Amino acid sequence: MNKSVLLTDSGDVALDAAVAQLDAWRAMVLPSAELARAIGRERGVRAVYVTVESPPALREIVESAHARGIPVIVGCKDDAARRRAIELRAEEWLRLPADADEIAGRVRSALMRAMPGDAPNGDRAERAEQAQMLYDFMTGLPTLPVMIERMRPLIKERGELVVVYFNFVRYSKIEEIYGWEKLDAVLETTAAAVKEFLDGHALQASRVMVSYTNDDDFIFFHVPPAGETRVSEQQITMLVGRLEQHVASRIEAAHGEDIAALFDIYLGLARVYYNPKLRLERLIYRGIREAATAAKSVEERERARRVEDLRTSLRDRAVYVDYHPIVVASTQQIFGYEALARGVMRSLRSPEVMFDVAAEADLIWELSRLCRSRAIEGIDTRLGPGELLFINVDPHDFADPAFTEREVTDPSRVVIEITERTAIKDYPKFRERLKAFREIGYRFAVDDAGSGYAGLGSIANLEPDFIKLDISLINAIDTNFIKQNLVESMVRFANEHGAQVIAEGVERAEEFETVKQLGVHLVQGFFLHRPSSAPAPAATAPASSA
Amino acid sequence: METLPPILVVDDNHDNAEIIRQYLEVRGYPITVAHSGDEALAIFEDVRPALVLLDVMMPGRDGWETCRLMKQHPTLGRNVRIVMVTALDDWSDKREALQTGADDYVEKPFDLPKLATTVQRNLAMLKAAS
Repeated sequence: MNKSVLLTDSGDVALDAAVAQLDAWRAMVLPSAELARAIGRERGVRAVYVTVESPPALREIVESAHARGIPVIVGCKDDAARRRAIELRAEEWLRLPADADEIAGRVRSALMRAMPGDAPNGDRAERAEQAQMLYDFMTGLPTLPVMIERMRPLIKERGELVVVYFNFVRYSKIEEIYGWEKLDAVLETTAAAVKEFLDGHALQASRVMVSYTNDDDFIFFHVPPAGETRVSEQQITMLVGRLEQHVASRIEAAHGEDIAALFDIYLGLARVYYNPKLRLERLIYRGIREAATAAKSVEERERARRVEDLRTSLRDRAVYVDYHPIVVASTQQIFGYEALARGVMRSLRSPEVMFDVAAEADLIWELSRLCRSRAIEGIDTRLGPGELLFINVDPHDFADPAFTEREVTDPSRVVIEITERTAIKDYPKFRERLKAFREIGYRFAVDDAGSGYAGLGSIANLEPDFIKLDISLINAIDTNFIKQNLVESMVRFANEHGAQVIAEGVERAEEFETVKQLGVHLVQGFFLHRPSSAPAPAATAPASSA
Repeated sequence: METLPPILVVDDNHDNAEIIRQYLEVRGYPITVAHSGDEALAIFEDVRPALVLLDVMMPGRDGWETCRLMKQHPTLGRNVRIVMVTALDDWSDKREALQTGADDYVEKPFDLPKLATTVQRNLAMLKAAS
């Protein structure tokens, strides 16, 4: 039988393995300059995989292939190359370097896309849906059904499969705080980092695959090669440690320290033995469940340890405060600082994590008291004349008898931030409580404003002096007109109610320019300043110009 | 002359779709029309639109779901601007629109010059990104 030909200019070693995964295919490797002509000349060419960077050369190849109804997969080194591929309407593109799974997967999906266009709409909509189910759109990793089919023969042959379950904790928090776009981006980084790590790891040689559950967990299958000694638990434990570090460092580089500090990775392990009497799918799903449970128990052990860390921290008052400048949008002068309390212990570095642990261990009031008193110390040590201190107070803290309006000597220097996310059950009573604080000079800010569907009504209820926009509204606001419209209406609302709007999470110049144009009064974010525990800087130049 | 990027107009109301098509075609945009969310998704990969004008209230797959699926497309999703054609009156409507990945909206009933401006400012975003 004649084999289908994958015509390519790629000298990648993964190519042979990729072609082997396809049914009755062979690769034909030619120099880039000869590809366009070879498409018309060679027989049996069913797909073209091209990695040439020169735009005219790429265009010629794609046009030559499309003239003959042959799909093209473009290997892209960077975003510019990817955009070119899309502009040229290549059926598929992939990011270089790519492994065999990736190349084979993209060839399959390119073939599917190139199928004749006269099929009825229903079928084609279905096919598009199916393609989306087979590969996760964000990470490009194959989904479980694809994995099982691919591994079936191998597991039969070797008789054993190791399932490793990656449980990423608190990814949901990222979505809650920064919005889904951010979580998508973080997941993409995570998947790339996991892949990168495994590619460089010795286990790769023994055939390792990664799948993805469309949520925030990953699964990793390892089929031990013939004659290899079993992977020991110890090897896996070491692997986890190194992997966690690797992923964390990638996420920190791409998304900053705050996001990196937010999550943890826990791994669970299960072995599946082939049994011809049982359906393989069921065996694998059971294995996944077992591995997930194992990962969960590691997580619980770790939680218990953190609670201990927190108790120690409370006893030793081991909390420090980072001060994040808030500046006037028009002048970039420092207006005040938001106090961010962090645990001295590494496991409690992220304020979100620390308060999560405290909530679980019923230590919220104790932790809040400590953080407040630490933050308030900054009024004397940190603030310049006229500058304000913004402190985060949970609505539940107002029920703490130890939290009183007399905690601070000069309340007019303090702005209390209350998050919109916590449901306030008894509004009249809560407002009564706020009144006592307001009367002696405290001011209030609604934090995360506009994060929910509630809109402006619930904000009006709190009569805030400041409205802090939810970070998800600021992220990429320069390119989204709906976000701009929302922020604009919030500014209008604030102006009518004598409040000032603060945009936090401003990370790029474009975002800064956009919120300024929309009339936002105050700005906070990495684009201007990073939070720091050091004494106030003398200069107030933006961080980016330094 | 520079060729303008392709636009996909999705509206179950044939008259509306036709009005938009004529108005934008005169301005040089290559227009493709679909009359349901399913039809739009089916031709999405062939048309590879730079921008989709998407009606929200349609029988079957509505505009929100169509928008979400288009934005999840592995290759085209990140390079398409989606403009919802609807009156997003209150905060929760707009919040919902953000959740589906929509980039902009034009109110219905629309005025055509406003529609053209909206199309232009979204295409300008694509241009700036490339």
